[in-house]
Amino acid sequence: MKRFLSSMIDGRGFDIGLVSLPLAFLLTLSGLPLLYNIVMSFQEVDMFSLGSFWRPFVGLKNYRDLFAQPETWPILANTATFVAASIAGQFLVGFGLALFFWTSFPGASWLRGLFLVSWVMPGLVVGAIWNWILSGDFGVLNFILRETGLIDGNIFWRSDPGFSLWAVIIANIWLGTSFNMILLSVGLSAIPRDLYEASELDGANVWQRFWTITLPMMRSSIGAIMALGLIFTLQQFDLFAAITSGGPNNASNVTQYWAWDLSFRQYDFAKGATISVIMIAFVMVASVVYVRSTRHEVRG
Amino acid sequence: MAIRGSAILGALALAGVSLFGLAAKAEDVTISVWSLDRDIQPAPNLISDFNKLNTGIKVEYRQIQFDDVVSEAMRAYSTGQAPDIIAVDNPEHALFSSRGAFLDLTDMIAKSTVVKTSNYFPGPLASTMWDGKNYGLPKATNTIALYYNKDMFKAKGLDPDKPPQTWDELVDAARKLTDPAANVYGLAFSAKANEEGTFQFLPWAQMAGGGYEHINSDGAVKALDIWKTIMTEKLASPDTLTRGQWDSTGTFNSGNAAMAISGPWELDRMVSEAKFDWGVALLPVPELGAERSSAMGDFNWAIFSNTQHPAEAFKVLEYFASQDDRMFKDFGQLPARSDIAIPETGVPLKDEALKVFVEQLKFAKPRGPHPEWPKISKAIQDAIQAALTGQMTSKDALDQAAEKIKAVLG
Repeated sequence: MKRFLSSMIDGRGFDIGLVSLPLAFLLTLSGLPLLYNIVMSFQEVDMFSLGSFWRPFVGLKNYRDLFAQPETWPILANTATFVAASIAGQFLVGFGLALFFWTSFPGASWLRGLFLVSWVMPGLVVGAIWNWILSGDFGVLNFILRETGLIDGNIFWRSDPGFSLWAVIIANIWLGTSFNMILLSVGLSAIPRDLYEASELDGANVWQRFWTITLPMMRSSIGAIMALGLIFTLQQFDLFAAITSGGPNNASNVTQYWAWDLSFRQYDFAKGATISVIMIAFVMVASVVYVRSTRHEVRG
Repeated sequence: MAIRGSAILGALALAGVSLFGLAAKAEDVTISVWSLDRDIQPAPNLISDFNKLNTGIKVEYRQIQFDDVVSEAMRAYSTGQAPDIIAVDNPEHALFSSRGAFLDLTDMIAKSTVVKTSNYFPGPLASTMWDGKNYGLPKATNTIALYYNKDMFKAKGLDPDKPPQTWDELVDAARKLTDPAANVYGLAFSAKANEEGTFQFLPWAQMAGGGYEHINSDGAVKALDIWKTIMTEKLASPDTLTRGQWDSTGTFNSGNAAMAISGPWELDRMVSEAKFDWGVALLPVPELGAERSSAMGDFNWAIFSNTQHPAEAFKVLEYFASQDDRMFKDFGQLPARSDIAIPETGVPLKDEALKVFVEQLKFAKPRGPHPEWPKISKAIQDAIQAALTGQMTSKDALDQAAEKIKAVLG
């Protein structure tokens, strides 16, 4: 008993106690719902069996039904486009801005802080504002494009099947850029200055310094931001709800919005769960990338 | 004397006990009510008025959010914690009643001196029915009709006292009124991929002899073709596909659309925002003399079947129904009653409009009722969007919808 107590105060017991608390938290609030979701995707669920756990198991029927629906593959393709384009856009613009603010000029850190405002704004507010900007008849974006002579007629960003997904992507890039910038700024500031001084003495130009020092030193930051970006874009729901509602004709529908629509609009909870399971598989891959990229942190 | 005295005492005691007992029993009855009404809307106000009557029934109110009504109610019902009374959106009523979650009120209504089914408009009443039985009472109702800008009618040489009567006249008028140079579309409506799209399209299909059970009938195909004409000729904004009724009618108020299809919930905003003379007309029909129809919205009251106090809960509903004449005056909502006249508001434009809406209500039809309405509705929305984006013909799109609906109807 005394040994147990002393180990609790200073020893393995203390460590285990510290670890078990968050672990229990994670298991109950993330692990169990995840498992429940997976179980639900193999069951027949309707509004009236929502409260009970023992529902008829139907095997892979939900999965078969889902892939028999004509809209499934287009929506999966939309999701892939949305994720790839959003991450690419957020990363490129974010990295560009991070490099820009890295060249310390008066007010650089101030301005960099201001950029975070977009990240702080709730998604629904951002969505409502972009809804106005992208509006076909009265939108600011169309006005600017028209005045600069880039387009002749209005583009119906939200309602043209060729543009609606890109309308949400544009809004999402705006929303996520600042987060990318801040994380990459941190990575940049961790690179020791003497590396650059040494390479400059050796006669390396700006491009060579970027490719041989900045990028390799940023490897883990970039890996982390990519993985987080994948998770954040797969989570992005508010913008779809506010701008296009997945329309027109599913042209801008993605799995996360569709899962919600199936579960809470059509009350088809099993199919909603099935889509979520497919998404979990993707996020798992991202998590592995994230964990691996942060494990080999090499600094200095 | 002694005997009489004790007898009186005994009687008094008995009376006292039974009185006390009755009072205690009545005191115990608490009825819980869920609805989405805010403090200025009917439910909380009617409930606080009811509680002041001290009827021995105490009503507790809980406000729930629109998006949560069904899922919250279902969760509560399946775990045995449902309220006694709930207000549900009318197309979702059948989902509950078909599964026995709502109490069959047929007998209680038949005996009631307050509630008479013949006093209700047929559409709202039908939405509370399942299998020929009453599972609730309409709480309020609304419908859609055609708003039009009289000043623009005059400017384009149309008679402001003769709004379009038929679909062809509507398209003709829209063609004349559309003026891209002035940023004016002929018509504003909503074909959004949610319940609003179905709400707006279904009346068109019904007027032409279609309906959700035969959504690919020739009439329904013609209706969707008319919508397609309106969209491809840009007589309405392409954003009609992603814009709800409220935002679409906003463009009418700002003078960017000459006509708009929407409901009476627009009236107050229109009175204050629209800087022109406007009127309301019944929804145009396929051809003169054709059957009229319109959409029907708003919520119904219902009692959960696992209530401990069905009689008391029904008394509360009776009270709500007895206050229907306050619905418009105090809360600006239309009662679902044909025996209650809408009082004059003193705003001429609004009073004229309300007359049309009350007339239109006579033809309003419920969506369904069917327990799997959301799936049926989704099939219709998909068809509308597939046709209007030009990805399918109206016929093909509605054929596909009919097939999906057939699978749901079984």
